[in-house]
Amino acid sequence: MVSIAVNGQVREVQSPGNTPLLYVLRNELDVTSPQFGCGLAQCGACSVLLDGKEIRSCVTPLSMAAGKDITTVEGLGARWAKQKNLSPENTLHPVQTAWIEEQTPLCGFCQNGMMIKATELLEKTANPSDAEIKAAFTTSGPSAHLCRCGSYTAILEAVRRAAALMKGGST
Amino acid sequence: MSHPGLDIIDIHGAKLSRRGLLAGGGALVVGLGLLPAGAGAAASSNTLDPAVLSSWIEIGADNKVLIRTGKSDFGQGSIFTAYRQIVAEELDLPFEAITKVVSADTDRTPDGGGTFGFLGDVNGEGMPNLRKVAAYTRQALLELAAQRLAVPKDQLSVTDGVVSGGGKQIGYGELVKDQNLKLVIPVRGQISGFMGLAVEGNPPMKPVASYKVIGKSFKNSAIVSKVTAREMWVTNVKLPGMLHARMVHPATLGSTLISAGQIDKEKFPHSQVIVKGNLVGVVAPDEWEAIQAARQVATSTKWSEWKGLPGQADLFHHLREADFKSVPVNKGEKNKGDTAMPAAKTLAASYELPYMKHAPIGPTMALADVRPDGVTVHTHTQNAQQLRAQIAQMLGIGPDKVVIRTYAGAGHYGRSNGGNAGGEDAAVILSKELGRPVRVQWMRPDDMQWSTQSPAAMSDIKIGLDPSGKILTYQADHYMPAMQDDRLIGAVLAGLPVMRAPGDKENPPGGNTLYDPWVYDSVLNLEERGHSTWQVGQRESPVAAGLRGHAMRTPGQYQQNFPREAAISEAAALAGADAIQFRIDHAKEERLISVLERLQAESGWETRPSPNPRAGGEAPRRGRGVSVMFRSGTYWACACQIAVTPATGAVVVEKVTVVVDPGIVVNPLQLKRQVEGGTMMGVSEALYEEVAFDQSGITSRDWQSYPILKMADMPEVKIVLLHRPEVGTYGGGSEAANALASPAIVAAFHDATGKPVRRLPLRPAYMKQLLTA
Repeated sequence: MVSIAVNGQVREVQSPGNTPLLYVLRNELDVTSPQFGCGLAQCGACSVLLDGKEIRSCVTPLSMAAGKDITTVEGLGARWAKQKNLSPENTLHPVQTAWIEEQTPLCGFCQNGMMIKATELLEKTANPSDAEIKAAFTTSGPSAHLCRCGSYTAILEAVRRAAALMKGGST
Repeated sequence: MSHPGLDIIDIHGAKLSRRGLLAGGGALVVGLGLLPAGAGAAASSNTLDPAVLSSWIEIGADNKVLIRTGKSDFGQGSIFTAYRQIVAEELDLPFEAITKVVSADTDRTPDGGGTFGFLGDVNGEGMPNLRKVAAYTRQALLELAAQRLAVPKDQLSVTDGVVSGGGKQIGYGELVKDQNLKLVIPVRGQISGFMGLAVEGNPPMKPVASYKVIGKSFKNSAIVSKVTAREMWVTNVKLPGMLHARMVHPATLGSTLISAGQIDKEKFPHSQVIVKGNLVGVVAPDEWEAIQAARQVATSTKWSEWKGLPGQADLFHHLREADFKSVPVNKGEKNKGDTAMPAAKTLAASYELPYMKHAPIGPTMALADVRPDGVTVHTHTQNAQQLRAQIAQMLGIGPDKVVIRTYAGAGHYGRSNGGNAGGEDAAVILSKELGRPVRVQWMRPDDMQWSTQSPAAMSDIKIGLDPSGKILTYQADHYMPAMQDDRLIGAVLAGLPVMRAPGDKENPPGGNTLYDPWVYDSVLNLEERGHSTWQVGQRESPVAAGLRGHAMRTPGQYQQNFPREAAISEAAALAGADAIQFRIDHAKEERLISVLERLQAESGWETRPSPNPRAGGEAPRRGRGVSVMFRSGTYWACACQIAVTPATGAVVVEKVTVVVDPGIVVNPLQLKRQVEGGTMMGVSEALYEEVAFDQSGITSRDWQSYPILKMADMPEVKIVLLHRPEVGTYGGGSEAANALASPAIVAAFHDATGKPVRRLPLRPAYMKQLLTA
């Protein structure tokens, strides 16, 4: 049995240690925001934060997450609430608010990973330039985060808006 | 309380009836009735029970309105935004009154049809079913109000769902309270067909000048659920006792099974292999075990060899030799004059487009539950009713025994608009075999190698100029293998009944339609021809697979507009004319001229001939190009600005400007996002996309061997929407946008370097070869 912390809750899981975290989250824990896109760490649809760093859950064995802190989109609001001492009830992360305000997703299948990457970026870099945003989504991880619907303009605008919201302190 | 005279009332051809009174509720339910004339085919093959037909619109006593559509949503947003706006507008309700949208489930929606042409039909009529349905409903509500208020219908007006007249007023909710009202609307067509049912008749429409809801940027409700992880994606659906399956696909697109591999039961104790003809699947209760077991089985499964494809390098040579004579040639509707007239200058050029993948970010996934009393398939299809008919055909049962439920899934750009997204049939076959629900998910290589693709195409274009540099003659021959293969590939492999392939050993495929409407109306001598042939490798494949073609975003029109617009830009250069002015000079349609003039202004276009006289040297060279298209009632014009680095052949698209005139803009923000997305996809297609294949099969298997645009390479995009209410129709906006960039980018390359580009994609090796030639 392996113990992992998912969105602030410690969970004991039965899956064998070599199981990619993606299947543990989706099938055993019913945390379904990370999506299977390629199984090859080439697209980013399955991204989660592992101790604050964006990783690809489709190729990360459960054993590597043991004892670590995992945040998925389900837990973004609570993550923000904790950072800002807000009530976690009905709190959205500024990244989520920005994604809604900018009407960013088209089909939306990749946007889980896009929001995870945006959160990682904005926690490190409060006021990123457009070049830094593009680099974060292209070269900072194991691969670029791919959007087949072409929502890149909307993502860029949403990250800018999220940065402004985060500086404002709350949503 | 009774309302005399309300038994059956004719509402512009629809029938309004009351079936007794209901205490404590009440609704007006708007359903459908097949027209007796011309609808025989629909009636005979439509085994739906009319008593349980789902409604289009339901208006409740609480003033809440529900709408239903057979179409689904894969990112267009139309069913959650435009459809709500259109219904609210015709009914004089606020947007928020439309509280629920039910879509695409075969047992819960009325009209079927493919998920395309949301705002009209492919001819650009701008008349979606729900607009007419709402118009009928408005008339029925006015009729009810006239009776209740005892005020003539023509003296009534409606504001926010309250009918007023003669100093009295009543709300829609009050009108339907305690009533069991039904409005039956005339329709024609076939529910399981490609287009589904279409609403008939001409109910009075609300004048465009009095629109209040249409034209505003309402938000898409589905975005909230997707961003907050509350969306029920197809991938999230689970059933008790469900097994996970992975497919072991044949080694080639023509292999037959020699022997299936065995499971290593020590490693994978709960897994089993299921074989049905050439269909091999591996199932296990645990998904990761199924994946690993399928990999192990694949290594020891033996397939026959097959090398029946030409291979990528020989594709166009192969197509030049292919039989394009067996299919009747299609001729352009506007063909006229004599294209053999002698010209002062002539451009004769051939253009080539590769196979491209729909390439959804998530591979296909379906969950099937086959029981003795019926089949339910949970999937992500763009044509649920057609899939339903196909699954019924495969199993030899009536469509009344099949229910298709559709959920949010990865956008796949037309791949399932004729029914299947890829994995549904295998899920059904495995579930039937095992007597348990089975969830099939393709892995990334399965999705790249066993799905359909946008067909390759080539065109020969000849343009003759008169001494003044105007087009005297235009001749185009468009060649494309068959495009719409909606066969269930799992059923094909299993040897089960499926629809006919688009062309088989006995029958040629259908013709190559001229998809790209001619827009240069001042050209006097015009000849456009469309030529079709069989899918490459299909007849040669022992399993009838080969390179299966399918409609993909802007289908067919992409393949014809790219060569046309590339050639028009080359002809402008030959004439020594500016590429935008040259187009304006050959247009008569005012809407086309105005999108082009607006493009000149918005893109910072410098009026001059191409190539750029400043072109030359080793520094990055800049160029710009233009393209236009008319599709589904919308005029489009696009300018691309690029930089070419001669030393490497690298092409960077720096800026794209798109001007769109759809007539009425229903939702500016949503349309802008659609066009931005389509533009990015178009840049991706122009620069990177080409299906790699050898003589045996597709060798693109992942995002490295089928690269698409990354964020760092995105251009600046400027979208200009022209709202023209006087046009009176809603033009399409989700398609076309992806087709505009390619011809503008090749024209920009010519502008920058003086070298014409006549095939896609513009990968560096090809560009460098052109530059050094």
